[in-house]
Amino acid sequence: MNTDKNESPMTQILADLKALAIGFATTFKHLFQKPFTEEYPEYKRPLPARSRARIILTRDPDGGERCVACYLCSAVCPVSCISMQSAEQADGRRYAPWFRINFGRCIYCGLCEEACPTAAIQLTPDFEMCKQDILALVYEKEDLLVDHGGKDKQYNFYQYAGVVTDVGEKGTHIKEEKPVNIRSNLP
Amino acid sequence: MPKLIIDNQEIDVQPGTKVIDAAEQLGIMIPRFCYHPALGSVGACRVCAVKFLQGPFKGVQMSCMIDAKDGMVVSTTDEEAVDFRKYVIEWLMLHHPHDCPVCDEGGHCLLQDMTVAGGHGLRRYQGKKRTHHDQHLGPLVQHEMNRCIQCYRCSRFYQKFSGYRDLGVLQIGERVYFGRYQAGTLESPFSGNLIDICPTGVYTDKPSRFIGRRWDYERTPSLCINCSLGCHTVVSTRYREIVRQEARFSEAVNGHFICDRGRYGFFYASQEKRPRYAQINGNEVSWEKSIQTARDQLNRISQESGPGAVASVGSVRSSLETQAALSRLCQKKGWQGPVYWIDHGQEMNVKTAAAELADELAVSLRDVEQADYILAVGADPVNEAPMLVLALRQAQRMGAKVCFLDPRPIGLPFSFQHISVAPQAMDLILAHLLKETIDQDTIKGLEPHEKKIFDAIPNNSHLVSSNQKLLNAVANDIRLSQRLVIVCGTDVVSETIPERAAYFARLLAKMGKQVGLFYLLPGANAFGAALLSDDAPTFGRILDEIEAGLVRALVLVENDPYGYYPDRPRLERVLQQLDLLLVMDYLDVRTIQDADVFLPTLTLYEAGGFFVNQEGRIQKASIAYQGGHPISQFSNGNHPPRSFRNQIPGKEAQPAWQALIELANENSATPKQGVRADILAWLVKTHPLFSKLPPDNAFPSDGIRINPGKDIHFRSAADRLVVPTLASESADQMELITVDWTFGTEELSTRSPHLRKMESKPCVFMHSNDAAQLDISEGDKVAVRSDTGIVSIHVTITDNMAPGVLIIPRHQRLDWQHLGASKITVSKDQIRKIREEEPC
Repeated sequence: MNTDKNESPMTQILADLKALAIGFATTFKHLFQKPFTEEYPEYKRPLPARSRARIILTRDPDGGERCVACYLCSAVCPVSCISMQSAEQADGRRYAPWFRINFGRCIYCGLCEEACPTAAIQLTPDFEMCKQDILALVYEKEDLLVDHGGKDKQYNFYQYAGVVTDVGEKGTHIKEEKPVNIRSNLP
Repeated sequence: MPKLIIDNQEIDVQPGTKVIDAAEQLGIMIPRFCYHPALGSVGACRVCAVKFLQGPFKGVQMSCMIDAKDGMVVSTTDEEAVDFRKYVIEWLMLHHPHDCPVCDEGGHCLLQDMTVAGGHGLRRYQGKKRTHHDQHLGPLVQHEMNRCIQCYRCSRFYQKFSGYRDLGVLQIGERVYFGRYQAGTLESPFSGNLIDICPTGVYTDKPSRFIGRRWDYERTPSLCINCSLGCHTVVSTRYREIVRQEARFSEAVNGHFICDRGRYGFFYASQEKRPRYAQINGNEVSWEKSIQTARDQLNRISQESGPGAVASVGSVRSSLETQAALSRLCQKKGWQGPVYWIDHGQEMNVKTAAAELADELAVSLRDVEQADYILAVGADPVNEAPMLVLALRQAQRMGAKVCFLDPRPIGLPFSFQHISVAPQAMDLILAHLLKETIDQDTIKGLEPHEKKIFDAIPNNSHLVSSNQKLLNAVANDIRLSQRLVIVCGTDVVSETIPERAAYFARLLAKMGKQVGLFYLLPGANAFGAALLSDDAPTFGRILDEIEAGLVRALVLVENDPYGYYPDRPRLERVLQQLDLLLVMDYLDVRTIQDADVFLPTLTLYEAGGFFVNQEGRIQKASIAYQGGHPISQFSNGNHPPRSFRNQIPGKEAQPAWQALIELANENSATPKQGVRADILAWLVKTHPLFSKLPPDNAFPSDGIRINPGKDIHFRSAADRLVVPTLASESADQMELITVDWTFGTEELSTRSPHLRKMESKPCVFMHSNDAAQLDISEGDKVAVRSDTGIVSIHVTITDNMAPGVLIIPRHQRLDWQHLGASKITVSKDQIRKIREEEPC
C-alpha cells in the first residue's frame, strides 16, 4: 500500500474509492458474460485418454484375454491392491481364473499399466466409482474385463512370444525361423 | 595356499580353487550360467569373463576355467571385462523368445537377472529367431527349448553326474538341442533337478506350472520325509498351500540335489480328502469334545481293566516331538507301547542298526561319495533311498567299485557288481566275505566275544561255490580298498545282517582301513523311534491281546496299520473288537473309518519339528505355513470369498504332540504355547543321547549327530550273531519277499497326483529259470496263494535277480496284504497262471 506521508488524507480516500469502483465494475461486467465454470456432474468434461482412473483388463484384436497373469502388476503395485491367480487354459494360454483389484486401496499411480508386458491392464479416464460400501470397491475379474483393446488396439502378445498356443505353432509367429529339424545336419 | 587379489581384496584359497569360487568367497558374485559347483566348469557360456591384470594369465579370461594362482591380480569391474560380458548377454539373447511373462522361471531366472544387470534392454538384432520344437518329458518336467542358452548344465547333470543316458545333446552349432532322442517320460528319478539347475526356463516345474512367481512365495527350510535320508528342501507356500519343493544345499546330506519322490511327495499336505475336523464315530465334533471323550474313555478303560488294557502305536513318519510326547504319555499312564513297527522283523533290524551305528562308524551321505569301495548288503537304493544312487555314482566316477549283495533286480545308472542270492543266504555270503577278507593278525587281536562270532562262521557251502569267482574278486577288492563304506538295508534282510554288517565294519576298521557304515531305514524318523521304543511289545502281540480281550483300547498316532500289516482280514476283524480306537493322523488313512475318536493332526510343514535320519542326524524342519484349507480348494478355484472371519477355515488340527499332551493332562486347559519346549526338555532329561540338543535358535542347518559312542549298546548284540543257518533248499520252495518301489509304495508320495502318473503297474519279479519251470512268460498274470489269501499280479521276468525268489512290491494299487506276512515261503504249486479276465 502506498504510504507516502506527503499525500493528503483526501487523496488517499479518493484513490481507495477508485479501486473499489474498478473492482465492482469488473464483477458487474462478468454478470452479463457466459460463465467458464463447468457444472460437474451436469457437464462431464471429456478427459485425455491417458488420464489415470478406473482400471480395466483389455482384450487382444482377436477377442482373447490379454492378461497372462504374470504377476508383474501385483508385484509393482505400491499399495498391494492387485491379487490374482494364474492357470493354464486348454489352448495353452496362461490366464487368470480370478483377478481382483481393491479400488479402496488403489492410488491410481499407473505403475501396473507400465509394468504390464501384454498391454492388458490399462487405466481409463473413468474416475466416478465412489461407493458407500467399501466392499463394493473390490472389483473382480468380471468387473474389470472389457471387450476392446483399450489404448492399444493392435497388440497381441502371443504373436511375439513364441510359445505354442491357439495363436500359432512354433515358427509361425512374428520374426521366427522354421523350427530346427534335429534329425538332419543339413542347413 | 595361493594368495591372489580380486578387486583390490586379498584372499588365500585352497589349491585347485577356481577364480570364480575365490571371488565368491570374498562375496563377489561373478555372473555364471554353465558353471555349477557340483558339475564343474566347461567354459561354455563365456559370461564369467574377468580381466587378469597380473600373474600367469593376462587379459580377459573365463574365471571358471582358471585355477587361482599366487600373484594373480584380477578385476571383475574392468571396463574391458564388463563390456565383454555385456556383449555375451546380448549374443545369448539373440534367439531368446519374448515370453518371460508366460515363463515359470520368470522371477528366479538367472538369465533374466543377468540381462537386467548387464543393461541389455533393447534388442538391436532385427533378424529372425531360431526356434525348436519341444518334447513331452513326462508329468514332472516341462520342456521349452526356445529359451535355451546352451550352457550344457542339463546334459552334464543328467549324463555325467547322475549317469542316466536318455537325455542329452543333439545337433551342432547354433542348432544344438537338449532333449531325448524321442519324446517320452524321463527315466531318471532325479529329473526334477533339471528344473533347479537350468539357468533359464528350458526345464520348468510341471506340477506347479503357471501357478505363481517366486517373489510371492513364502520360502521355508524344510526336510524331505519320504525316505530315511532326510534330504534338505525348501518349500514354497502361497495361499495356504505348498506350491513347490526344491533342493536346499546341504554340505552333509544331499548336496545340491534331491530326488523326484522327495520333490513331488508333498501333495499329501493339501490333499482335498485330508481330514481336517475331529470326529466321534464318524460325526464331526469340536476338538475339545473329541479330546474330552477320548480322555474319559481311556481313563475308564484304564480303571476297569488296568493301564495295560490301553496300547499305543507311534509312527516312523512322526516328528521326534510327537514320538517323545507319546513315550511320555505311555510312561505316565502305564500304557503299553509305543510300538512303531507293524513288522517285527523290520523293527529288530532297525533297532539293531540304531544300536550298532557307533559314532566312529557312522558316515553321512556326502561321505559315501569319498569312498573307494562300497559294499551294499540288502539295499536297493533307487527304490529305498534314491539319493544314495547319486552318492554312489559320484564315488564310482572317482574310481570306486560298487558291489551289491541283494536278491532284487538292482538297477543303477552305472556299472557295478551284483551278487544276487536269496535273502536267507545273504548272511552266509556276507560271513564268507568277512572270513575271506580279514587278515590273520586282526583275528588274533580280537576280543574273546568277537572271536567267538568269527569262529562260528562255517566253511564254504555249495551256495558259496556257485559264486566263488565273484566272491573272491570282491574279497580281494575289499582287502585292497582304503576308504570303504558298507551300506546295509533293513527291509528284506534277515535279522542277523545289520549286526553282521556292523561287525564286518568294526573288523575292517581294526585292519587299519577307514570304514563307514551306512544303514537304510524304513521311515524318516525310524532312528528316533528306535531310540525311544526300547522295550515295547510287538504289534503282533498287541493284536493277540486284543483278540484275547486283554487290550481294549488302541491309540494310533500317525500310523496306519492297514498300509503295513500283511494280513488285512485279521486286522479288520481285530480292530472291530476294540472298545476304543483313537486315531490321530494328517492323512486320509483307512483306520479313520474304524475309529471311535479321530483327531486331525498337522504335517511337518505346519507343525515343524525334529527328525532323525538314518545316520543319527537330528535335523529341523521349520514351520512353513499355518495350515487350513488351501484357498484354491476353499474357493473352488474361483476368487477367494469376500467375507471376513477371525479363524483360518479348516485349521482345527493341532500338532500330534499337542493332542498327546492334552490327553495326558487331567484338566482340559492345556496351553497352546510352550508345550513343545516342555516335551524337548523332558526328552533331554530322560534320554542321555539327546542331551546335546541345541536350542532352536542355535540349531545348526546340517543338524547334529547323536550316535551312541563306542561302548554304549542298547542290547548286548554279540551273543545273537549265531551261525547263519540255511533253510532246507528245496527246489519246490520259493521265497516271497515284499519290497519298496521308488514310486507306488511309500505312504506319503503315493498321495501325490503327479507321482501317481510315474508309478508303473505292480508286477511280481521272477527269475527266468523259475518262470521256465512254471511255464510262465513275461506279462502273464499269476495268482499267488498264501495261507491267508490270494494275490493276483502280472509277471516280469529277469535274469538280474536271485533264482528261487518272488519279489512283490508293497504297491498301493495291489492288495499284497492278503499274503499273510511280509516274507513267506511258497511252494511252486501255489503259483498258478490265470487268464486276464478270470477272477481271483
